[in-house]
Amino acid sequence: MNNLFRYISRSISRKLSLWIVLFAAIIFNIALGFMFTQSLKAVREEAISRATKELDNTVLRVNNILEMVEIATDNTDWLVVRHLHAPDSMFSYSRAILQNNPKLNGCSIAFEPYFFKDRGKYFSAYSYNDGETIHTTQEGNDHYEYFYMDWYQTVKLLDRPGWSEPFVDVNPDVHTSTEIIASYSKPIKGKDGSYIGTIATDISLGWLSETISAVKPYPNSYSIMLGEGGTFFVHPDTTKLFYQTIFTPTLEKPDPDLSDLGHAMLRGEDGMKELEVDGVDSYVFYKPLGETGWSVAIVCPESDIFGGYNRLRHMVAFIVVIGLILMLLAFSRIISSELKPLRSLADQTDTIARGNFSEVLPEENRSDEIGRLSHSFAGMQKSLIRYVEELKETTATKASIESELKVARDIQLSMLPHIFPPFPERKDIDLYASMIPAKEVGGDLFDFFLRDEKLYLCIGDVSGKGAPAAMLMAVTHSLFRAASAHESDPSVIVHHINETVCLDNTANMFVTLFLGVLDLPSGHLRYCNAGHDCPLLYNGGMKALDCLPNLPIGVLADMKYTTQECTLTAGTTLFMYTDGLTEAMNADHEQFGQERVDALFAGCGEKGMTPRQILDSFWEGVHGFVRDAEQSDDLTMLAISYTPNPFATVLSETITLNCDLARVPELNDFIFSICEKLKLDPTVTGQVQLAVEEAVVNVMNYAYPDRGKRGFVTVKAMSDGHELRFVVIDSGIPFDPTAKEKADTTLSLEERPIGGLGIYLVRELMDSINYERVDNRNILMMIKNI
Amino acid sequence: MEVKVTTEAAATVAALIGRLDTLAAQEIAPQMDELKNVDGTLVLDCTELSYISSSGLRIFLTLRKAAAEKGGKVIVRNISNEIRSIFMMTGFLNLFEIQ
Repeated sequence: MNNLFRYISRSISRKLSLWIVLFAAIIFNIALGFMFTQSLKAVREEAISRATKELDNTVLRVNNILEMVEIATDNTDWLVVRHLHAPDSMFSYSRAILQNNPKLNGCSIAFEPYFFKDRGKYFSAYSYNDGETIHTTQEGNDHYEYFYMDWYQTVKLLDRPGWSEPFVDVNPDVHTSTEIIASYSKPIKGKDGSYIGTIATDISLGWLSETISAVKPYPNSYSIMLGEGGTFFVHPDTTKLFYQTIFTPTLEKPDPDLSDLGHAMLRGEDGMKELEVDGVDSYVFYKPLGETGWSVAIVCPESDIFGGYNRLRHMVAFIVVIGLILMLLAFSRIISSELKPLRSLADQTDTIARGNFSEVLPEENRSDEIGRLSHSFAGMQKSLIRYVEELKETTATKASIESELKVARDIQLSMLPHIFPPFPERKDIDLYASMIPAKEVGGDLFDFFLRDEKLYLCIGDVSGKGAPAAMLMAVTHSLFRAASAHESDPSVIVHHINETVCLDNTANMFVTLFLGVLDLPSGHLRYCNAGHDCPLLYNGGMKALDCLPNLPIGVLADMKYTTQECTLTAGTTLFMYTDGLTEAMNADHEQFGQERVDALFAGCGEKGMTPRQILDSFWEGVHGFVRDAEQSDDLTMLAISYTPNPFATVLSETITLNCDLARVPELNDFIFSICEKLKLDPTVTGQVQLAVEEAVVNVMNYAYPDRGKRGFVTVKAMSDGHELRFVVIDSGIPFDPTAKEKADTTLSLEERPIGGLGIYLVRELMDSINYERVDNRNILMMIKNI
Repeated sequence: MEVKVTTEAAATVAALIGRLDTLAAQEIAPQMDELKNVDGTLVLDCTELSYISSSGLRIFLTLRKAAAEKGGKVIVRNISNEIRSIFMMTGFLNLFEIQ
């Protein structure tokens, strides 16, 4: 069944034609139903009228016969009463009736016993017609005491003429026939009105039956006649005659319809009933038969009445069914052929759905809805092909952009320091930093590097995110490196960066930047803030570094930036970050916030965490806060812990020289004596001598350009047994020899400048050098590990 | 600091004796200027040179450039290991012929 439904529902033509045929069937049904009902009514009425008429005719005919019998009898009675004096004449009278009425069977003119004294007890003049001749005889005798017979007694008792129930004439002396007869009896009255005998005329019931049975309005209809007790005396089934009544079948099985019919007939009613007779649905029309108390009925099987009608109905039903089936097939075929373009459209759609867009649609020249659909579909297909092409291009472009962005990300991340710890050989500084872009590339930056004994560091945030920010970030980063290569003043470095960034800042982007230079031997931190978040400090307690806000880089070309300074004590931890930390947002748009940052950093400080642990703990904190929300901004953090090496002096000597090259041998002697005291080998001694001489001569030559005012240069030698430090101090003009460009020793003879080797040699010969300007003095420190 | 200039076959030999520090370099500058005019090969004998500062290196380079202009050459002879390492640091090993 499900399969059938699926089969039908898969095709519009099947569904549509099924619906049409269904509606047609309903309409046919109603129309034909109405027609059939009306015809049924007409047929029924026609049948009733026909049967009734037939019945009336029959009854009329039978009545005529019966009347004829009655008249003949009455006439004879008149003769009998007149001729009572001549008993023998009775024979001729009875004979005369039969002669006059050949349809009569017999006639008895019977008298009371001993009515004719001379004739003895019995006198009954009886004539009967055996079909050929009429026999006349006296029928009463000791074996047939006629005056006890029903036909005789009934009339006598009732004292009026009447019909007897049919009976078999059983006078064996007279004849042996067992003809069933009915008798009309009439009392014979004497002149005094007393009863003297009965005149009875017999009529053969066979004959009556033939007359009645001849009435056949329908081929299988038949007639019955009931006596007063309901006994059949006309019935096609002769076995029922006399022995069965209409009520006999109800004795075995109650049949109210049949009982009703029987009672109605016995009551002498006329009418029609529908009921089942002998197992056949029949219409029974009935009518009483004159004064006899008998009733005649015609039983018409329903199949006879409605036979033609039913045949017609079956034929029509058959034609309708065949018609509907043909209609179903025809509609299915027509609709299917009309919808053929739709099927090819469906196939086409399948093809397109499989990704084959270029399949060409067959041209459809129809102007109906299907034609329009085909047309639209073809248009859609063309658009689809175009869109898919565009999409392919877009996707390819996007993939290419994505892969480029990935490379850009790698480049960006590799641009920033990414090896940690960055200075594994150094004990005085530990540092950890990370930058996580919100997109592929970010606009945050951090950087740090060691030059001499100084840590240069910066952290910044370019306005915006993504590729544009990343470009400016890269520019800022490069500018930081370039500007701080030969400059150690943060405000000057920031100024350089700002100048260059402002130069062509058509996009009006800006960078917040914190830039610091930490002098590692002294812990002296100089810094310049360009609109960035203030770093946090922890040393026993947490506080924010005091920062002037200044303007971010890229806003104002001639902005004057200020350097601020402070000194970090041993054990200080510095924590820097971008606003991606404080503004990290969770799904409820709540920010991580400054308070959480402060509290978390204070906690880290209390636990004495290393920079890496601090960043890890911040990561954990931020992740726990943000959870599944998308990272909204680049996030950069940088932590530094400062623990300067303790320096236990075992040797400390000072020499002060005026700026005269003639003092150089004196200096050499001083250094020689120091080296000797520290028992350094001659090679190291030579290196140290050369380095210090170069540094001092440098000061003598450049620190005091005003020749009229010659100054002094002090050289301080210190050692803790592990390293030898020389500090060259002068109060000349600010002069940072470490900022000078490193001499290129690979140049050819022609390109090679004559000078510039002094500071180069100092760097090469010593393990570390460091310049600081403190209190208007230039302080150059040189360290040699011994 | 002392400079002894001798002539040896086709070459002029300048023997540098002592420490060539900044002061010494200043002292021997006039003497060395004369050597700029030497034609042919100039040999700087460093057998007894114990120390050299950047001022000394300047003199060496000045002589080398002067010789190059005239098509002559400068040979540095017998440098100590210490001075050789200074030459190495400064790239002078590539500029001078060392004997």
